[in-house]
Amino acid sequence: MPLLPLLLALAAVALAQPAPDAVPPPEASPPPGATHLPEAENEPPPLLKEPALLDFVQAPYPPQAQAEGLEGTVVLAIEIDETGHVASAEVIGPAGHGFDEAALEAARQFVFEPAVDETGPVAVIVEFAYGFVLDAAAHDGAVPEAPASPAEAELPVTLEGQLTEMGTRRALAGFPVLLPDLDLQTTTDAEGWFRFRGVPPGAHHLKAANTGFDAVEREVEVVAGEVTTVRLWVRNQSYADDELVGVYKREKEEVTRRTLSVQEVRRVPGTFGDPVRVIQSLPGAARAPFSTGILVIRGSNPEDSAVYIDGIRVPLIYHLDGVHSVINPNLVESVDYLPGGYGVRYGRSLGGAIDVRTRRTYPEEGHDLKWTTDLLHSGGLLSGRIGAKSGHPWGYALGARRSYIDLIIPFFTANSGYVIKPRWFDYQLKLDRLELPGGSRFCVFFFGFQDIMRVSTPDDVAQGTDQDAQGDFDMLYSTYRVLLDWERPLGGHWKLRATPSLGLDINSGSLGSALTGGQDTFMIELRAEAPWEPSEHFRLTPGVDFIGGWWGFSAKLPFNPEIAADYDPIGEREPWAIEDSGWAWGPDLYLDADIKPLADPERLLITPGVRWTEIWIPGEYTETAPDPRISARMRLWEHSAVKGALGYYHQPPMPYEMYRPDEQRVEEDFERALSATVGWEQEVGQAWTGDLELFYKHLDRLLVMNDEFTSLDDPYFINAGLGRIFGLEVMIKRAQVDRFFGWLSYTLSKSERLDYPDEGEDWYDFDFDQTHIFVAVGGIQLPYDLELSTRVQYVTGNPWTPYAGGVYDLDQGYYWAYSTAAHNSQRMPPYFSTDLRFEKLFTFKRWQLSTYVDMLNVIRGTNPEFVRYNYDYTEWAYVRSLPFIPNVGIDANWRF
Amino acid sequence: MAPFPCHPGALAPLFALALLGCQRVELSSSWTIDRLRILAVKAEPAEPAPGDTVAFEALVISPQAPLQIVLWLACPADIAGVMGCELDPAVLEQLAGLDPESMTPEELAELYATLTEAGLMGVEPYLPPTWTVPDDILDGLTEAERNEGITLFTQISAIPEGAEGDAEIELAYKRVPISQAVTPNHNPAIDHLQIDGALVEPGVTLELDPGQAYEIEPVLADDAVETYRYLTLDGTWEDREEEPYFSIFVQEGELDAANTLFPYSSFTWTTPEVPTTAEQTLWIVVQDRRGGMNWWSQAVRF
Repeated sequence: MPLLPLLLALAAVALAQPAPDAVPPPEASPPPGATHLPEAENEPPPLLKEPALLDFVQAPYPPQAQAEGLEGTVVLAIEIDETGHVASAEVIGPAGHGFDEAALEAARQFVFEPAVDETGPVAVIVEFAYGFVLDAAAHDGAVPEAPASPAEAELPVTLEGQLTEMGTRRALAGFPVLLPDLDLQTTTDAEGWFRFRGVPPGAHHLKAANTGFDAVEREVEVVAGEVTTVRLWVRNQSYADDELVGVYKREKEEVTRRTLSVQEVRRVPGTFGDPVRVIQSLPGAARAPFSTGILVIRGSNPEDSAVYIDGIRVPLIYHLDGVHSVINPNLVESVDYLPGGYGVRYGRSLGGAIDVRTRRTYPEEGHDLKWTTDLLHSGGLLSGRIGAKSGHPWGYALGARRSYIDLIIPFFTANSGYVIKPRWFDYQLKLDRLELPGGSRFCVFFFGFQDIMRVSTPDDVAQGTDQDAQGDFDMLYSTYRVLLDWERPLGGHWKLRATPSLGLDINSGSLGSALTGGQDTFMIELRAEAPWEPSEHFRLTPGVDFIGGWWGFSAKLPFNPEIAADYDPIGEREPWAIEDSGWAWGPDLYLDADIKPLADPERLLITPGVRWTEIWIPGEYTETAPDPRISARMRLWEHSAVKGALGYYHQPPMPYEMYRPDEQRVEEDFERALSATVGWEQEVGQAWTGDLELFYKHLDRLLVMNDEFTSLDDPYFINAGLGRIFGLEVMIKRAQVDRFFGWLSYTLSKSERLDYPDEGEDWYDFDFDQTHIFVAVGGIQLPYDLELSTRVQYVTGNPWTPYAGGVYDLDQGYYWAYSTAAHNSQRMPPYFSTDLRFEKLFTFKRWQLSTYVDMLNVIRGTNPEFVRYNYDYTEWAYVRSLPFIPNVGIDANWRF
Repeated sequence: MAPFPCHPGALAPLFALALLGCQRVELSSSWTIDRLRILAVKAEPAEPAPGDTVAFEALVISPQAPLQIVLWLACPADIAGVMGCELDPAVLEQLAGLDPESMTPEELAELYATLTEAGLMGVEPYLPPTWTVPDDILDGLTEAERNEGITLFTQISAIPEGAEGDAEIELAYKRVPISQAVTPNHNPAIDHLQIDGALVEPGVTLELDPGQAYEIEPVLADDAVETYRYLTLDGTWEDREEEPYFSIFVQEGELDAANTLFPYSSFTWTTPEVPTTAEQTLWIVVQDRRGGMNWWSQAVRF
């Protein structure tokens, strides 16, 4: 391995200074069980409580349908206001035969317990499947009705029971229960209880039936003078994570967003059940090599996109296997995907932003344990509520996961002398104070992860020609975070939000004993916002995004990088060790306003804002840059909207780009981007949405290697580079309103760079430039709790630079390649793959077990990923992905 | 402040690549000599001083076609690039269109002087490569700098008969330290080989079986590993000992590694199952990491 590139890489490791940015706690996020992928911020808060049907009104069975023995299900969209009454209802899935009118009339009389978010009861729109099921009496022509006479109402309850959903143990409200032989029918209340009055002693046939559930029938014996109590377990034909069948839509949405439910996200093949990986199936995200998790968003460098967990910037979002994110998927409530044009709350990055939001909902009763085991890892999440009886209820979630491929690989390398041991684990503990008055919120969240990689090589076998770059390879990456999330309404239309956090990052790397490096970073972050909203037409939000802390790094090299002569492979060298530490601060300020100037506040939203990005390293570096940004969204018609954004984005240099020897002052400026987007959103019915967006981004002041570096007085990097990125994104999505979900995603883009414009160089394609990115995802629920989903990808190949040959460096024992073609002038062949996921759910009384097979690349065979050359660059071949990658696993869910 | 960019996740593709070894297309190995190769260059003396005349020798193997010429160039390290030396474009222009056979001896001498000035050291087999170190080449340097020395690049271009394009020319370069060192370097020498622990007499053809694994160890001459003086950055003298290693080249068969790792000097050669030719050669190049280089050619018969 060449020494110089390895040295620079290890120096980069040693000089690394991960410093996460803090961003505000989510202002708004989707309903529980949904995954957000918005294009702008201002999300409404999540639902703390779903609406519950209190009074179900039985519709009279349409006579004609009854006479013909017809059954049917009418799908309704019901708008529930803050009082729990039905504001409006419409048929979105007709059944005909008079069912639609009957269901509509009955539904308008429903009474719900309203949905609740942090602000209190809120209006929502839900989908409701109203089923018409013939029972014995109906078949005979009778129409069961509730008791009409007061005398009947005064009869004692002689038969009662509770309906509970199998697997989830959820109480079933509004569920029809019949005594066909007595022509009696009732429905369950909010706790799932039903009661019959005046049932005579003796044996009776009891039946509970509803659309979407398997009917349950039982013979019950009513005893004179007693209340007979039964418990019925009912099996759902289509289980979903804590949500009614259908899609929640907020009544007061400020911006339309792409919303995917957790069910949809976790069933996309190739994601291994990880909600973060689904981003690579959405517009604007380039395909990562070998299906790993590298994020290339709208043609930006991976390092230019920021990743957050609950608003805390983290240095990694994927473990070193590139497959699993660092946060337990069962703890993920939503994933905000911001490819560009986002507001001032997010900064210090030129590319996109991804904010993973953890759950804030907990089982209403008991505790819940979710466990996952597959070929690569195992882990679980325990959640529930504690302290309710004391009047201080807390929700908790405790999770941990570990990979075990380090236990598997040795079986394949036992006799080779080589040992490869990658290993990771992560853990989370979240405590949420529930039911605070006045919409206040308080949460404590601990999380951390550790990634270790060890590659052991035989001591007596050279690994390459570089005699200094030998030995075992070790890498450690540890992150620890604790954050508090506090929010409280103040008087006078003010609210205060604060998210202080502490963090510690420890990372180190070594190659043998000669090349070592390590860095520790301790950081303090504070995000505080004080939004002022005097009316529904205006909101002003000042904010502070502060990050600061102490960093220390050490490095050991076999030669001194500060001496140019030490790069001579035959020059004498001395081992060099360095330690350095210091403090750095980033007290960013921002201010934005939400302006709704029209009488209908939902019609037009304009959001201007400005952010001041600042870095201060005492005695070494001070730099400030303003980021003015503006976005707007206008609803043209009820189901159509146009949107746009324009703004500047600055990104501070990376620590290795700022390093200067001998305490010399850093001279680099922030990198900068000017971003512009325009788009159109269209809804068709309740299920279909379309989104078209055009984007352009101009990059300047990009840091590139200093090609005029001649002495240590010169900086290693200079702000000379330019970039330009433009394209369009299209997404057409069908929400899961029945058994099918899916979407089509297409991105057409061009991303180019120009490193030294003053030297007459030409633009070249960015390393991850992919002209066409097409992804189709679809899934269907089959009978018997089977699910099948697929993903088809077609992606233009990445650019690469062909070499014409090489010149042999006799002292270093390897060839230097030379090219007669322009940089990145060739393209890899297109990538095409089809992935499949097959899942079977087994439901028992108190738990559920899901078994799945996730198969990548089932049809095409191998795809070229990159080019590999031989030793003298006269031969080359494609390095291809594995032709077929299966993963088998189980998910278990217990309620106790 | 921004998080560190070199995410371990970025290594994931490399890790994945390690697991994909079973499906790699086999490309030619660096130890297999099946085409024109420049394997080693020796300068004598290995570390010349101002005024010394250096003679150069190269180990060039051309299995497919006889060599036509080997061109030698020299240039200072500060103007050499990763591709080695390049002739001054003005000189190249001067060469273009010339017909040496029609030139007078005086013109040829003048041309030769121009080319020598531009870095030409030799054209084998006609002009053996030599170079005389200018007397003033280290002028202006401190004592420590003169002891450490400067570096000369020598570039070798091997051109086979019938070559029709650049792709058929083999290029290589070697660094030569020029100094007034207290302990100037010398080229290491291999004294003999051992195979499976047994001595191989120098000059004797090695008889080997096809499809067998042999542990071969080159043994250096007694004075090959030198102790030398080094002036540290803080101005103190330090005694150091060389750490030579070997690069191995064969015509057929497999090696456990292309080079050895100090202090280990043996390697394993698995001979071909069906040798293409019964008579083959094994080459071993030794270098001391101070610019000294030498080689050993071993005849093998299957």
